[in-house]
Amino acid sequence: MRKRKFDFLFWGGVTYLVLLALFAMFGPTFRHHYLEQVGQPLQPSSATFWLGTDEIGRDVFARIAYGARLSLLIGLTVQAIALFIGVFVGVTGVYAPRWVAMPLMRFTDGMFAFPDILLAILIIGVWKAGIIPVIVALSITGWPGTARLVFTQVASLKDREFVVASKALGASTFYTVTRHVVPQLYGVLMAVTMISLAGTILAESTLSFLGIGVQAPDPSWGSMINNARLQMNSYPSLLFWPCVVLSMTIFALNFVGDGIRAALDPKGR
Amino acid sequence: MRLAKAILLRFAFGLLSLIFISFVTFVADEIAPGDRATVEAGEKASPETIARLRKLYGLDRPWPVRYGEFLGNAVRLDFGTSYYGTKEEVWTILKRNLPMTVKIAMFAIVAAALFGVTLGTIAAVWENRGIDRSVLVFSTLGVTVPNFVLAPILVYFFSLKWDVLPQTWSTELVAPELYYLILPVLILAARPGAMLTRLTRASMVDTLEQEFIRTAVAKGVPFWRMILRHALRNAILPVLTAMGTSFGFLLTGSFVVERFFVLPGIGFLAIEAIQQGNTPVMQACILLTGMMFICVNLLVDLLLPLLDPRIRESQV
Repeated sequence: MRKRKFDFLFWGGVTYLVLLALFAMFGPTFRHHYLEQVGQPLQPSSATFWLGTDEIGRDVFARIAYGARLSLLIGLTVQAIALFIGVFVGVTGVYAPRWVAMPLMRFTDGMFAFPDILLAILIIGVWKAGIIPVIVALSITGWPGTARLVFTQVASLKDREFVVASKALGASTFYTVTRHVVPQLYGVLMAVTMISLAGTILAESTLSFLGIGVQAPDPSWGSMINNARLQMNSYPSLLFWPCVVLSMTIFALNFVGDGIRAALDPKGR
Repeated sequence: MRLAKAILLRFAFGLLSLIFISFVTFVADEIAPGDRATVEAGEKASPETIARLRKLYGLDRPWPVRYGEFLGNAVRLDFGTSYYGTKEEVWTILKRNLPMTVKIAMFAIVAAALFGVTLGTIAAVWENRGIDRSVLVFSTLGVTVPNFVLAPILVYFFSLKWDVLPQTWSTELVAPELYYLILPVLILAARPGAMLTRLTRASMVDTLEQEFIRTAVAKGVPFWRMILRHALRNAILPVLTAMGTSFGFLLTGSFVVERFFVLPGIGFLAIEAIQQGNTPVMQACILLTGMMFICVNLLVDLLLPLLDPRIRESQV
C-alpha cells in the first residue's frame, strides 16, 4: 500500500464531519428535546440553553442537531441512490448496444445540464412537500453527474489488459464489470460522492428554506434560517448558528472530497 | 453547409428539451392526486359531481389527447386559469411577475460577467501573488457559501447595522427601483460571479503561456494591449460557454432571493403556488423558467461560432 498524503484541510474536514455525526446522533435529545417548548422564547445563549431558544422557546442547540441528523440522513440516502443509478447508467452506456447507449447518454447529458433545483421544485410542487418527496426529487436529479463520470472512466478501462485478461479467462461481462472494472472506480466515486453530498445538503436546505422541503415542526437548517429571517430585525443572532453550521458542513465536505481527489491524482503525489 | 446542420441540430435539441420539460410537467400533474375537478368541487363533493366536472373540463379524455392540448395551449401562452382567488388567467399573472425576474437575472448576469472577467484577468496577470491569492479565497467562498446564508449576512450589515440599503422590496417605493435591487442582484450574482472568476483566471493563465503571447511581447505590444486584445479575446470563449450554465444557477438563485427580499417575481409566484396547491400557475412558472434556461443556452451555443473562427472552421 502506497502512503497517501492528505493535507490539513482534509483532516480538519474529517474531524468536523465526525463531530457533526456525533452531534446529529446525540444532540437532538442531549439536554433538551428538539420539539419541546422548554423555556422562554428568544433567550440568548446561557448555561441551560447553550445556543439560546427560538421564537417559541425551543432549544436551538437540539434543533440544529436534529437539522444535522435530517441533512445527513437525506444527503446519504440520496447519494446512495444516485450512486447506484449513476454506476448502472454509466456502465450500461459503455457496454450496451449503440441504440440503447446513445439515447441513454444524451438523456443523461440533458439531465445534467438542467438546473437540478428547478426539477426538484417541479416534482415537489405537484406531489407534496416533505422529507420523502425531497429524497425522491433529489435522487432523480442527483445521478447524471455520477453517470457521466462512470461512463468516461469505464470507457477508458474497457480495453485495458486486466479487463481483456479477465474476459479471456472466460469471465462473463457482468463478473468482469462488477469484480474488476467498478472496484477501480472506488476512489474517484468516493471523492465525487463527498462533493455531491455537499450539493445535496445544500439543495435540501434550499428547498427547506423555500418552505417546500422539511416541514414544521421538524427543524431543518434551511427552514431555521427562513424562520430566523422573519425575526431578523430584533434577533439577528438566531440566524447565526444555522448559517455557520451549514456553511461549515459544506466547506468540510468539499475539503474532504478535494483531499481524496488530490491523493488519487498521480501527478500530485 | 455543416454549420447550418450544426445550428439546426442545436435547435432540434433545444426543442426536444422543451418538449421533455413540458412532458414532465404534464405527467407530474397526472401522477399527483387531485385535479381541477376535485379542487372545484371542494372537500365534501360526491363522486358524481366530480365525474360531471371532469367531463365538463374534458379530464375524462385519454392523456395523450390532453397532453396534445396542453402543449398546443402552452405554445399560445394559454396556461389555463388559476385554481384560487379571482381565477385569473395564468398568463396575466405571469406577465405581472415576469419583468422582475428578468430584470434581476439580467442585472445579475451582467454584474457576474463584469466582476468575473475583471477579477479573473487581474488574478491571472498577477498569478500566485497576493492579489491572486485573495481573489482565489473570495471566489472559493462565493462558490461554496449558499445564497440564503450570504443574504442575511449582507442584509445584517447593509440594512440593519449601517442602514444604507433597504431590507426588502415594498409596494410603495420611496426611492428609485434600482436602489431596492442592489442587494438582491449582488447576492444573486455572487455564485455565478465567483464561478466566472475562477474560470477566467484558469483560462487566462493557460492563454498567457502560449507562444503567440510571447510573440506579441517580443514584438513590443504594450502590456495592457497584449492582455486585453491578444490574451483576453482568446481566453473569453470558455467563459462565455459557462455563462449559459451559470444562468441556471441564477434562475434557481432567483427563487431564494425573491423569497428573501419579497420580490414579486416568477420564483416567488412558483413557491406561493406550490404551497397553495395551485397547479396551473406552478406548471407555467416551471415551464417558463425551463424555457428561459434552454433559450439562453441555445443563444450561447449559436453565438460561439460567430466569435470563434476555430469552432466555425471545425463545423464548416
